[in-house]
Amino acid sequence: MTSSTFQFDFKDLKINSSRIETVLGYKEGEDRELVSGLIEEILTESKEISNIKAQYAIFHGVLFDNDTKSVEINNSSFHIKKIVFGQIKKSDSVAIFLCTAGEEIGIRSRKAMQERDLLKGYIYDVIGSEIVEAAADLMQAELEKSMLGSGKKITNRYSPGYCGWDVAEQHKLFQLIPDNFCRIRLTESALMDPVKSVSGIIGIGKDVKSNPYTCRICDLKDCIYRRAKEKKA
Amino acid sequence: MDNFLEKLAYCIENGKINKTSPYPPNMKDQDGADELAKKALEVGIKPDEILENALIPAMANVGNRFSKKEIYVPQMLMAAKAMNSAMMHLKPFFQSGETKRKGKFIIGTVSGDLHDIGKNLVAMMIEGGGWEVIDLGVDVGAEKFLKAIDEHPDAIVGLSALLTTTMENMKKIVTAIKEKHSTSKILVGGAPVTMEYCEKIGADFYSPDPQGAVNYLKQLVSLRKN
Repeated sequence: MTSSTFQFDFKDLKINSSRIETVLGYKEGEDRELVSGLIEEILTESKEISNIKAQYAIFHGVLFDNDTKSVEINNSSFHIKKIVFGQIKKSDSVAIFLCTAGEEIGIRSRKAMQERDLLKGYIYDVIGSEIVEAAADLMQAELEKSMLGSGKKITNRYSPGYCGWDVAEQHKLFQLIPDNFCRIRLTESALMDPVKSVSGIIGIGKDVKSNPYTCRICDLKDCIYRRAKEKKA
Repeated sequence: MDNFLEKLAYCIENGKINKTSPYPPNMKDQDGADELAKKALEVGIKPDEILENALIPAMANVGNRFSKKEIYVPQMLMAAKAMNSAMMHLKPFFQSGETKRKGKFIIGTVSGDLHDIGKNLVAMMIEGGGWEVIDLGVDVGAEKFLKAIDEHPDAIVGLSALLTTTMENMKKIVTAIKEKHSTSKILVGGAPVTMEYCEKIGADFYSPDPQGAVNYLKQLVSLRKN
């Protein structure tokens, strides 16, 4: 098993107002005066408050079981279910990853919500999600680059809690990660703290491929990211 | 008199909270929902009328426009905030019993799930529909829901979940509620939830958007009256 850690700077993520407005649903040419000032304000704050970290660990010799749609990694069995299994079953090794935007942005979102400033709380939340997803994209790009020498490719990333993969399996997933560089804690019900964090699996191998539009395989039909991507496409 | 209520409804629909709020820019320095609700009471308009003829129709319009995707979550949240600033003036009348709410609505995000934006949106739309909302928060298990129903036995219950996997907890909570309070009406919602799943777990109603929930509650009120 090999592990790599990353600390990203907010500016590396290249998140701008227009990206956030698209996620919020705004189309080209639509008036966005209501949100533009607030987005700018929270993006500026985010530069100061984000603590963006990522880590992956690569495991070789993984075993896939087609009958149970599960994968065995380091003697731990994960029931990743049909959709994720189909996407990574040709892998000969996998990367288990963690990524976080840090805790402050989640705290500020909750505080604004509690003070009934729902719009501000919502925008903190959306920006927090964009930060962690953009950071995971960078981490994934680093993994892809590191595989080039051996002629291997990687799949998209897949997380417990989505596509039918039980979020409770996150406990086992965390046990595989050495040192937990991202300092993410898990609640009993397997949700992550800081809330703006992601974890999951990426398949690695000569016969795997990444899918440019993963939303199509997901069972969340009304997700804001799916709607934003469909609008763009 | 109607002019007051029309203006108030307009402010709510357009997210104009009070005189100092900068949004929308074309209403700069004008009274917002806060001032208009206060003035409406001062000129003798009954709180019931303010609720029925301004707040409820304004929020219904907002909900319908959101359902038709004519507006997005941010506009809806601003409208809810404006509605809330007007509602603050009506609260003393609810507390004294002079103005009656349409009923009570208990809402929470199910155990294992910390997502609250959808739940908050539904709660604010339902409050804007004239209901008293008892918000239990996030990561709420069956016991907490049962305790709230014990305290408010006539309340309608709403369960929210965002993850496909926490939908399982939704099922457990619905079963527990129906076992103890078989006549309680339960609404379910959240991105992965469907009408099919709602029927499968024995809940009473599913809506893909907040206004559907408000309309369902409205139907229940008319059924109870008849």
